[in-house]
Amino acid sequence: MIVLGIDTATSVSSVALAGREGVIGSRVLAQGRGHVEFLMPAIVDLARETGVALEHLAGVAVDVGPGLFTGMRVGIATAKTIAQNLTVPLVGIPSLDLLAFGVRYSHKLICPVIDAKRAEVFTAFYRAVPGGVERESDYTSMTPQDLAAEILARREHVLLVGDGAPAYRDAFAPLDDVEIATRQYPSAEVLVELAIPKLEREEFSSPERLEPLYVRRSDAEIKWDRRGVVIERPNRIQIPKRSREAG
Amino acid sequence: MAGDEITTVCATPEATRAVAAAVATLLRPGDVVALSGDLGAGKTCFVQGAAEALGVRVRVQSPSFVIVREYHGDIPIRHVDVYRLNSIQELIDLGYDELFDPARVLFIEWGDAVEGELPGDRLEIEITGTGTEERRIALRGRGTWEQRIAGLPSEVAL
Repeated sequence: MIVLGIDTATSVSSVALAGREGVIGSRVLAQGRGHVEFLMPAIVDLARETGVALEHLAGVAVDVGPGLFTGMRVGIATAKTIAQNLTVPLVGIPSLDLLAFGVRYSHKLICPVIDAKRAEVFTAFYRAVPGGVERESDYTSMTPQDLAAEILARREHVLLVGDGAPAYRDAFAPLDDVEIATRQYPSAEVLVELAIPKLEREEFSSPERLEPLYVRRSDAEIKWDRRGVVIERPNRIQIPKRSREAG
Repeated sequence: MAGDEITTVCATPEATRAVAAAVATLLRPGDVVALSGDLGAGKTCFVQGAAEALGVRVRVQSPSFVIVREYHGDIPIRHVDVYRLNSIQELIDLGYDELFDPARVLFIEWGDAVEGELPGDRLEIEITGTGTEERRIALRGRGTWEQRIAGLPSEVAL
């Protein structure tokens, strides 16, 4: 049973192949952009080097975010395409779960933080349980300052993990009981490690239904008081009135 | 200084492009230009003039239907139109935050509609129809652009 993992939801992209006995190989691109160019060549190269025939894959796993929009979409589209073509199961795992699982040996309250830009982070709280981590709050986005206040209110030792921690270091610096993990990005190696038991338990999604995990961030409408106002254009072929109104 | 604006009147679309080309001499990678004006005011026309001056060799087309278009030039540009969107969440889901790229100049049509989402440092271009062909173009600098706008070539600052 060999599984392909694709993680392009943050600024460090990776792909990995793993079996029941562990990771067989991986490729990492530590650069903010270029997911599109990196992904397929990396998969093909990795398969060649590890001697894995892609048509023998037992499943595909993908990081469904929250994270960087472009990477997330590229990763999910690629994973869906491969899974559909090979008619193998597809597993989607949230980026925050991957970060938390990566530090599951911590006894502290685990708080993955992904830089969401716009001076916000994606986050959730986790606790280590036998065999992994358990999420104990919703996936959400908030300002690092609000998160710092929430951490303070919890009066617990907290381990921050993810690129949001160093990015907003100033917000977390005043907190005494906070440690920042060296790990900063989700990885395809963690992804496949988590995905294999899920595949074995048949906890997968159909390619048609797998969606990026969008965390709602705004309820505001765009202020469209002038959208319908048209200025007559000069030097243009006159559009007959009827068809103009139809548009 | 805040709120100062430079206005100029353009008799033809060609004149609008010429003003845009002059403005383009100030543009650097990472800059954000927000355009406002009614349908047909000439927002895309302005971007065409600026893009040509930035070394874009193909004709810039309205991004209304595809929302984002990208062009290679001496300075690459990204041209966004939020006209078809209704909510800020839709804008975010389109990867709005990733459109801001330090290597490119970003033009946003209907920028005034999403003002709260624009960066503090930006150049605002407001185009108003004053006759069949004639357009009034107002340039306003926000943030660091309050100073930078003073560097405009004199042919713009009428």
